[in-house]
Amino acid sequence: MKASLTILVLLLVSQLGQAQEAVLQRIDEALQYQSPGGFFRSKLSGLIDLEVDYIDRRPPGLLFGNADLFNPRLSLFLDTHMGEQFYSLVQFRADRGFDPRSKPDGDARFDEYLLRWTPWTDGQFNLQAGKFATVFGKWVQRHDSWQNPFITAPLAYENVNTITDQAAPGSPGAFLARRSLADQKTKWLPVIWGPAYTSGASVFGQVEKWDYAVEFKNASISSRPAVWDAQDLNWEHPTVSARLGLTPNAAWNFGASASYGAYLLPGAEASLPAGRGLGSYTQTTLGTDISWSHHAWQIWGEALVARFQVPTVGNADTFTCFIETKYKVTPNLFAAVRWNQQLCGTVPDGTGGSQHWDRNISRVDTAVGYRFTRHLQGKLQYSYTHENAPFQQGEQLLAAQFTVKF
Amino acid sequence: MNLFLKSQLKQAAAFTAGLVVATCTVAAQVAVTVEGTVALPQPVAPAKVNQRYAGQAGSFLPPEPPTAIVYLEGAPVPADEKPSTNVVQVVQKGMQFGPGLLAVRKGTRVEFPNGDDFYHNVFSYSKSKRFDLGRFLKDEKPPAVTFDQPGVVKLYCEIHEHMRGTVVVLDTPYFVKTDTNGVYRLSGLPAGQFKLKAWLDEKRVLEQPVDLKPGAILRVNFPGS
Repeated sequence: MKASLTILVLLLVSQLGQAQEAVLQRIDEALQYQSPGGFFRSKLSGLIDLEVDYIDRRPPGLLFGNADLFNPRLSLFLDTHMGEQFYSLVQFRADRGFDPRSKPDGDARFDEYLLRWTPWTDGQFNLQAGKFATVFGKWVQRHDSWQNPFITAPLAYENVNTITDQAAPGSPGAFLARRSLADQKTKWLPVIWGPAYTSGASVFGQVEKWDYAVEFKNASISSRPAVWDAQDLNWEHPTVSARLGLTPNAAWNFGASASYGAYLLPGAEASLPAGRGLGSYTQTTLGTDISWSHHAWQIWGEALVARFQVPTVGNADTFTCFIETKYKVTPNLFAAVRWNQQLCGTVPDGTGGSQHWDRNISRVDTAVGYRFTRHLQGKLQYSYTHENAPFQQGEQLLAAQFTVKF
Repeated sequence: MNLFLKSQLKQAAAFTAGLVVATCTVAAQVAVTVEGTVALPQPVAPAKVNQRYAGQAGSFLPPEPPTAIVYLEGAPVPADEKPSTNVVQVVQKGMQFGPGLLAVRKGTRVEFPNGDDFYHNVFSYSKSKRFDLGRFLKDEKPPAVTFDQPGVVKLYCEIHEHMRGTVVVLDTPYFVKTDTNGVYRLSGLPAGQFKLKAWLDEKRVLEQPVDLKPGAILRVNFPGS
């Protein structure tokens, strides 16, 4: 029923494309305010996403629940400029949870709010504070539904591992036993949880061909949305992340990122070995990213290595990467393919040997998208996942998303 | 024989010269000029670029002040008029289209050089011309589009959302762009009764009927609506 409704909406909107365009253009123009002289300028914009996901087995990644799902989302962005030096952003969302169906009865949140100070107009130095996307990696800069050619995030940003932030495993054997369980999305963590809208402060800027960013946040990049607000954790174990980028010419961009910080939540403290605290168990992540574009082609790639220090077990290392390409077939139609891979290292199994601590996984994402107008876009994604495990999760995913941008 | 030929050639030359002079004189007598002022909208404050995430940078120039296109509608195209082979340029520099408003004759080829050190893109979903030129560099051959249908073509850059440009494609050779004070002068027009239009934007197209007398200079102002 919901799927039929979405398809019906798609058809209707595509037929009414040009008429809708004029209306949306007027809305776009109406949702801005500027003070006399232009010192204060504020603009409200937004995205309305209608998403349906068909899954042949358990939903993969950060899709919650146990079946197909319908995931509508309203995102509102309030961009405000005060003179040349101050900028603020507020992002509000109403949906079925930060991750699809994580709160099936509905949810509304302020996912981002930040104030930025830019003392000089050359862009070499910016200071900002608030709750905002991590500076780690390159994907977060294009993660919204309008810019992301896919509906889901790359594997590195959504595949949950057997690492938990809530308690120490009882033994290495208990930790390794998680491999035979289906993903516990309310307990386990990915390497990076989506755009990781954690709270804190950052400095960033651009100096000729180089750009830099350093952030000091309240939670790790793998932390769950429930702890991203500034008051959620007590700041005793912050995470520091940084990225250095080089743009030798317009076509190429190279980046290197690093992140370090504790990842266990206060509730895990009681389960830790004697003499150890939350700060004893950290997540260290190193990443590199590369992007290239020319004419109708855009290519992005990222590779990350992460080490989670797991209580009672040791270092759980993982390597994950993706390479993604988008090609504009016509002015309106684009196609995209993404290859994702995650490999897990070994940990002591408590009996003198060592074993891989989680399932290796590979996934290919394919997508086509059509921009009906500057304000309307439809995307269709098919993904095939294979896990090195006795069972599969979301082996095949078919998803459709329709987005209205204003 | 030679004398006869010379005489014939002299006569032919004299006839041709006379014909040219007569044609020019008649043309000067019939050609009409229209001039005046279009009340332009107030300039808007330059857009602010919302660089939400670190690593998205760049500074930009203010947009071009408002102007208008004045054109004569309904006038016959001269019989010897050839299809437009003009090539004009719209440069993307300082994250602005320059000129931001361009009027061209149907069939004109427009090039879009990139004047910035970073990528630009040009696309349009307008009914009369739908295209996407992809991402192109400063140093490469500028991509071009031939505007073969009359209409209004809105230009955008996929990378820099604030960028706006307009190409007004006209099916008449009689058009001119005002200066930034709204002043225009449109000359070489044929005599007759036509409509003179001033295109300010898609919502505001002003028009006035004009009766163009041979050799006259007519003043037509378009006051603000």
